[in-house]
Parts: sequence; structure tokens; C-alpha cells
Amino acid sequence: MWPFLLRRVGQALVTMFGVATLIFFIQRLTGDPTYLLVPETATREDIAALRHSLGFDRPLVVQYLEFLANLVRFDLGRSIVQNVPVVTIIASRLPYTLALAAGALVVACGLGIPIGILLAQFRDRPIAKVATGFVLAAQSMPTFWSGILLILVFAIALGWLPPSSSGDFSHLILPSVTLGLLSMATFARITRTSLLDELSKDYVRTARARGVRTSRLLWRHVARNAAIPVITVAALEISNLLAGAVIVETVFAWPGLGQVTVQSILARDFLIVQGVVLLGSFVTVALNLLADILYSVVDPRIRLEVAR
Amino acid sequence: MSGLVAQRITFSQALVKTSRWWPVALIAMFVAAAIFAPLIAPYDPNAQNLVGRLKPPGTVSRTFHYWLGSDELGRDVLSRIIYGARISLTVAFASVILSGAVGVCLGMMAGYRRGWVEMVIMRVVDVFLSIPAILLAIITVAVLGPSLLNVILVLVLTRWPRYARVAYGQTLAVANMPYVRLSAFMGASATRVLLRHVLPNIIGAITVVATLEFGLMVLFEAGLSFLGLGVQPPTASWGAILSVGRNYLANAWWIATLPGACLFLLVLAINLIGDFVRDYLDPRIH
Amino acid sequence: MTDRFRYARLVALAFTLSASVALPAHASKDRFVIDLVNEPSSLDPQVQWNPDSYYVYRNIFDNLLTRDEKGEIAPQVAKSWKYLSDTQISFDLRDDIVFHDGRKMTADDVVFSIQRITDPKFGSPQLGQFDQIVKAEATSPTTVVLTTKSAYPALLAQLVKLSIVPKHVVDAVGKDAFNVNPVGSGPYQFDGWQRGVQVTLKRNDAYWGTKGPFPVAVFRAVPDSATRLANLQAGASDLGVTLDSDQAGQLKNAAKAKALTGLTERVAYLRLNTLKPPFDNVKVRQAAAHAIDKEGIVDGILGGYDKAVPEMATPAIFGWSDAIKAPAFDLDKAKALVAEMGPAGKAEIELATAPVFDQRVVQAVQQMLTDAGLNVKINMSDMASYLKRAQAGPDATSLLSYGRWSCACQDSDGVLFPLLHNSSAWSAYRNPKVDGLLEEARQTLDAKKRQDLYRQVHEIVAEEVPLIPLYQSAAIYGATKNLKWQPTANESMFLNRMSWTD
Repeated sequence: MWPFLLRRVGQALVTMFGVATLIFFIQRLTGDPTYLLVPETATREDIAALRHSLGFDRPLVVQYLEFLANLVRFDLGRSIVQNVPVVTIIASRLPYTLALAAGALVVACGLGIPIGILLAQFRDRPIAKVATGFVLAAQSMPTFWSGILLILVFAIALGWLPPSSSGDFSHLILPSVTLGLLSMATFARITRTSLLDELSKDYVRTARARGVRTSRLLWRHVARNAAIPVITVAALEISNLLAGAVIVETVFAWPGLGQVTVQSILARDFLIVQGVVLLGSFVTVALNLLADILYSVVDPRIRLEVAR
Repeated sequence: MSGLVAQRITFSQALVKTSRWWPVALIAMFVAAAIFAPLIAPYDPNAQNLVGRLKPPGTVSRTFHYWLGSDELGRDVLSRIIYGARISLTVAFASVILSGAVGVCLGMMAGYRRGWVEMVIMRVVDVFLSIPAILLAIITVAVLGPSLLNVILVLVLTRWPRYARVAYGQTLAVANMPYVRLSAFMGASATRVLLRHVLPNIIGAITVVATLEFGLMVLFEAGLSFLGLGVQPPTASWGAILSVGRNYLANAWWIATLPGACLFLLVLAINLIGDFVRDYLDPRIH
Repeated sequence: MTDRFRYARLVALAFTLSASVALPAHASKDRFVIDLVNEPSSLDPQVQWNPDSYYVYRNIFDNLLTRDEKGEIAPQVAKSWKYLSDTQISFDLRDDIVFHDGRKMTADDVVFSIQRITDPKFGSPQLGQFDQIVKAEATSPTTVVLTTKSAYPALLAQLVKLSIVPKHVVDAVGKDAFNVNPVGSGPYQFDGWQRGVQVTLKRNDAYWGTKGPFPVAVFRAVPDSATRLANLQAGASDLGVTLDSDQAGQLKNAAKAKALTGLTERVAYLRLNTLKPPFDNVKVRQAAAHAIDKEGIVDGILGGYDKAVPEMATPAIFGWSDAIKAPAFDLDKAKALVAEMGPAGKAEIELATAPVFDQRVVQAVQQMLTDAGLNVKINMSDMASYLKRAQAGPDATSLLSYGRWSCACQDSDGVLFPLLHNSSAWSAYRNPKVDGLLEEARQTLDAKKRQDLYRQVHEIVAEEVPLIPLYQSAAIYGATKNLKWQPTANESMFLNRMSWTD
């Protein structure tokens, strides 16, 4: 157990180190923020002086080592543009991103699972065609387009919901729907497949042969077993939702991490981008590590598989 | 047995239950439109007409007859959609094929060679997979500058690890099969074993990933266009038309509607094909 | 570990949702909601330079001078001023200005503000606007004397942007803390900054000048212009910045909102790299100038809000001359000039631009140049890359670039000098005569003589075409129907110059 654990933690650390290194160097290839910070009338000397005072004229290796040294002390540094600690910015934005991801997940499951059930139950009926069309259409709409469409309909034409920004719960609805619609297809698909899988199993056939009604079967027995793959997919889908949040947050002026990261990439505010990416990959790596450890506790054979 | 198969109509088939060739025919149609765009499109997609901006479908202005309306610079929307198919399909096909090729090669190598090769490749895969792809894409476009080629490069750079991971897992399983081991034991080179024995066994699983990725790539390109990082203007891609057209939904709905519909049909067709592949691979059906 | 993490996330979520319930974002006269593009980067007036910050902080701070509704330089902290010599100027300050913490503003605060921003170690991005000032001293509690390196006619125009910070507060709390909790003396005072969400200001009821019309003003970041427009149409915001002409058109028949536009000091232009072929040939440059239909762009695309200009200036800028005749739109002449070039005229020309600029205009320009026979390719890159490339010098910069120039000083020195003088990174033009004129104008206090020097530069530009001035940019805002406000040429947004009609 211990050698496996050590090895796995070692791999996770190597991955984190790789992420930190990649994100550091790839960003430095994009230049630095000085040109964006100064007025148009700034001279070459003004720009050089500002670059010097920000420390971007130092050798890249020196900057890299400084970054690593700070990272080891869990210091993500200060935003270059906003001059506040990166941790402050992440802390203020994170709850919004989580709220949006949760809202989108509720929409995706809330629509996707019933549709999946419907598709399983009424395979050949016209209603299934309509539902499938709806799901696929939602999946093929770019969020920047569906988002503004929802704003036009529900905020301007009908006036039911606020068009953008954060505020009370109603502000969360449109962005959640926009983001959730994209993932709905995943849930509809997996629900349908796992339901059909269950329905084709022997116990169901036997029950059917005995004359148990399909709907009764579906709700009593099949749904429970079919739920397992759906839950697994939900866990995987969260990372997709977080990625999709980047554009949805921009459209809805939702103050989450995705929006600030895109802006920081464009503003060359390196430390914020590094902070967010490291946080994201830390969560991913930590969850994978945890899952591996749990599996290996449950099934010792996996230790051999994973530890290779 | 046949009863069971009939029961297992796949997801997208529920929408259209016809020959399994029609999604292929649809894609072929899009490809044909892309290839023969200069013959089909009524006008030069970039020809502007500033006095005929944002005109509804059917309007005639100067030398233009806008069957599907005109855009924000008085360009013919229909022609732009036809030419846009070129860019959108090129981006999607090229990025899927290239990232698939890169990912599968590296994944198979890691799964077959093991040792330090496996360690290095799979750690790099881990690194890439733990960075949100869209952020990595934005940063990379900022480095390279936006262009058709760079958009494809960026998509390959950010998407290959997905294929690599699947190929790796599949190769691990296949490489342990007795006949593959035997073949290697008999002195077949690694390349030969991988191409003759491993690749045919894993290609199905890879195709499933690729069909899911295909639709995503079209949307990814659209997303980059929205952020101003897509193909260079005035080049039309469906994503670029949509990302401008969305600003005119209230007063010129026609700009964004048809490219949206094309996108839908394309994603639908690819999904259908993906479902067939999945069916074909599903051992329970055979 | 995971459980605790999850729990923390849930708490955070619950907190956000409940905290936000307490803050309904109603738009009304009591709570004036303004949609900016991005969040202000900092509210310390001396550590940043971007519109989203100065829209906000200029309401918190008073400036040494200001510009009145007509755009003339007018008193603010300084009541009056007089030149002691060509390089020395004395300011007589108001004695009734009180900072938001109750302390009186004195000459020491003014001197401190100047010394702070001109200290190279402080690293202000605005240093270049004030570095002609070599000395600032308080000669009495209400008198400050500034000394410049040499005679500097643009000084007053620059001082319009000099916000006065309280010495006692900055000394006590330091740069980092002042950044997040700024104390000024303006018509609004800082109330709170919900980072990423909004900055809230409240009215300073003890303000010495015109008081603000709204008790509370809220500035939000709404990056997508389509969303800013939607907020206005839905009545969710009272004022939104940076709309385009088509969006202004959509507001024409909106129930709740209207467009407010104002011509600015900003000039849209093309810069030609005169040191590289084909633009090293003046005839090709002239061809490009003849190819562009400025009126067509302004009326056809920009809805007539903007105004075509013959010179690299606008009427809002000192140095504007009515007498300049630029190459007129003449496609046949342009074609003929390009044809004269033969194959050399077919070389690929890169037109550099960035996503923030109006892509309709850039594409129209490309089309017009193409119509004349030039082979122009658009190269759009993000703003940081664009700026770096634009200032890379003639060897590395693009052959052609589109831009919209504002020095935020309404003076030709801030426009022509950086774009043309050979010492500037922006310049892709070498002409000793122009350099001489610009240098002389920079040190001439006599307004009439200066005006004449700039007229000569404009004439050379029209003849030699190192730049193609396109149009005077309009700033387009969307506002609720109740708002009365005239946007100004310097694109500032002073809340106390707005009013509300029911």
C-alpha cells in the first residue's frame, strides 16, 4: 500500500510542477503587460522604466525561480494590474463560479435525466424525436449565441428575469440554463443508455414475462441501478461545466473565475492566470489521486495497474 | 436476438430513423458545398455593399440579390455561409484528425513501450488534461496570433491528450492479449505490432472519441471567434458569422440563424455516425 | 479533507446567494447603475491608466484643473494660475476643499501628489504625462509653484488629469492599502468594492462644488457590449459605456433607453510604414489615401455619429486647423497610382488591428484599399500583441495599422509627436523638417505660433501621407430616458455634471 501511495503522490506532484512550469513559460511568450498599462503618449524610456519597476526586465530564469520559491510557500503573489493579492481575487470569484456550475448541473440533470427516461420509455414515438431534436439542438448552440437569445426573450421581451450580472437568485437562472443546456445532452444520452441496458437484463425480462407493467418496473427497480453511471458522468461533467463557464460568464457579466481568467490572459496579468490554472489543476489532480487511493483500498489489484 | 437489436435504436436515431447513410450524405453535402463554394455561392463572400447593410432576406440592392439577407457590411449572408463551411469543416476535420493522430501515436507508444516512455508521455498528458482546454487555447492563440492554421494548431495542442489517454488504456489491454505477445515474441517490430495488431483493435474506441470531439471543435472555433481569437477577418467561418450575428439578433435575425442551423445539422450528422460506430463496437449487439 | 472542502464550498455558495439577496440591483434615481466594460483595475488615481478606472476615480478625486462643458481648461483645485517665467507657473489653490475623512486639503497635498506621480521609483504608468515637471513647491498653504524642464505648453492640459491625493492618508496607510480604500475630496466618496462585482460610491454631501444628483452610484463590469445593450433595454442599468453605432440604432426605438453620443478628441487613423516598400513610395501612400472613402465609412457604417477629418486632429484638440486639404476620395486616381507601380504594387500589405477596434471599419478599409488594387490582409491580434508590434519600430512593425488615438490631453503635442517624431516608438516616418516643427511646437508658449507650427505639420502629412487620418470618433453611451448628460470630448464621466428628469 505505502509504496503505491508514495508513488502516486509523487506523480501528482510532478504533474503540478509540470502545470506550473508550462503555464509560466507559455504566458511569458505572450510578452508582458507594460504596453497595456501606459498611456499612448508614453515614450520608450517610460515603458522601459515601468517594465523595470515591475521586474519584467529580469532574466526569465530568475523570474521562474522566484515564482517557484513563492509557490512552495503557497504565495500566489499579487495581481500586476489590480495590485491586490491573487488569493483575494480568487476567493472573491470562486463562489460565483461554483454557484454557476451547480446551477448548470441542476439544469442539465433536471432536464437531461427526465428526457433520457422519456427517450427510453417512448423510443419510437414522435415525442422522442422532438425531445432528441431539442437535446441535439441545445448541444450544438454556442453559448455566446444561446445566452444572448435567452436574454432577449426572458429579460427584454418578457421581462421575467434580470439580463445579467450577479444579485439575487434570479440572476443565476439564465446563465445556469445557458450553460446547463450544453451538458443536458450528456445526461439524456447516458440516462437513456443505462436505462435500456437495465431493461435488457434478465431480471427485467423475467418480470415482464410475468406480466409486471413496464412503467412500474422502470420506477421500482431499473431506475435505481441505472442511476450509478449517471452519477459517475455527473462528476466528470463538472470539469466541462467549469470550462464552459468561461464564455457564459463573459456574456452574462457573471463575476466568476472564468471571466477574470480570460481578462487576465488578455491583460497579461500573469499571476492571476497562474493562480487560477494552478488551483484548477490542483483540484483535478487531487480528485484523481483520491479516487485512485479509494479504488486501491477497495480493490488491491488496481494498485498494480495504476502504479506502473 | 433481432428483437433486441430493434429495441436498441441509438440516441440520435430516435430523431431520424432512416438509412444510416443519410448522415454521411449530409456531411458529404457540406463537404461538397465547401469544396465547390466558388461555383455555388452567388457572390464573393467578402464583397461589401455599405448602402445595403443589414437587409432582410429577399432584398435587392445594387448588384446584390440577398436571398438570405445581408450582414453588417452588406455582404451576402448565403455566400458567406457557403464559404464559411470551408473554414469550419477544415478546422474541425484537421484538428480532429491531427490531434487524433498525435494522441493515438503517443498513447500507443506509452501503452506498449512502458517504462520511462510511458512515464514521460502520461505525465505530460496529465499536465495538459488538468489545465482547462479553453484557457490553454486562449493563451496559445495570444502567443501565436490568430489565423486558420494557428487555430488548428491550438486545437491539436489542447485536444491530443484526450485521445492519448484512451489509446493508452486500450493499448494496455490489447498488448496483453496472447496473440499480440506472441507476435512480438516472434520478432515483429514495435511499429509492426502497433499498426497490425494494436491499432485495428483500438480504432473503434478512438472513433467514438473523435465523433464527440468533432462537434466540440466546431464550437471551440466559434468560441475563439467570439473572443476575437478565431480566423482573421474578413474570412467567414460559421463561428465567426455567429459571433457577429449574435449582436444583431434583435434587428437582423437572419445573420446568425442559418449558420446556427448548419452547425446543428453538422453536429447531428456527426452524432448519428458516432452512434453507429458505438453500436458496431457494442459486443452485446453482435 | 474532501468533506470539509465540500462543506466550505457549500457555505461559500450559501453566503453568496444570501449576501446577494440583500442587494437587489434595482436601477433608480436613488441608485444609479453604470455598466463599464471591465472592473476598474485600481482606484488609486496615480497607479493605473485605463478608462474603466478613471470613469470611477475621477468622481472620488478632485483634479488640479478641469475642462468645462465647452472643453476649455477651467479651475478646480486651482482657482487661478499665472506664469512666473517660461518654465515656472504659480497656482493659487482653493482653501475650502475637505477630504472625505474631514481633513482640509492644502498646498502640501498638491505638492505630494505631484512628487508621488513623478517619482520614478513609484513607477506610475502616467509618469510620462508629468515628467516635464522637475520641481513642485508650496510657497504658502494655498500656493504651489511648478517648475518644468523647459517651456512646456501642454502642461495645463496634462494637469487636468492630476488627481490630488491626501498626503496624510497615503503616508499613514501606504500604497497597497490606499489602492483598496481610496480617500479623495471629490463629489462622491468611496463606499465599497465587491471585487469582481461592483464598486459603490456614495454622494459627498459636503462637496464644495456642484453636488452629485444620485445618492449612490454603482459601477459594474459588463464585458460584452450586447449584454450592456440588453441591460439598458431591460432597464437593469442607467448608463452603459462603449456601444457601437448599430447598437445606438437599436436604442432608437427602445422603450426605456436612449443613446447619448458625443464627439471626442480621439482620431481614427491608418499609420503607414513609410520606411518599407511599397509604402516607401509616396505615390503608393497617396493612392491609399485616395482610395479611402471617409464619408462612406462615417455615413454608411458609423451611422453619422462620427465625423470625417482631413488631418490628424479633431476640433477638440489644440492644433486643429480648418484649412487642411487632405487627398480626396478618388478611386480612379488611386487605381491609376497603384497601376503605375506595376508588380511592386501587388506586394502583400499587412493591416494590423485588435479586437477592441470596430471590425466593420477595419474590414471596410481593407475592401477600399483592395478595390484600388492593393493587396491588403488583415492581421488582428489581441491588444497586448498589437501594442507591442505597433511600437516595435519601422523594421518590425506592420506596413499598415489601424488605430484610434487619444492622448487624453486634447493637444496636438500628444498626437503628432508620438506618431511622427523619429524618437518615438510609434513613428514609422522620418522627416527632419517635421521633427523640427514638432520639437519647436513642444517648447513654444505662444499659442498662435504653436498653432501655425502644427498647421505646417498637418500640411506635410496631407502631402506625404505617413498617416491617413480617418474620422473624429464619437463616444456612444446608452442611458435611461431620464438621464440628462452631454458626453464630453475627453471621455470623462463626471456624475455631478449629470441630471435626472422624471
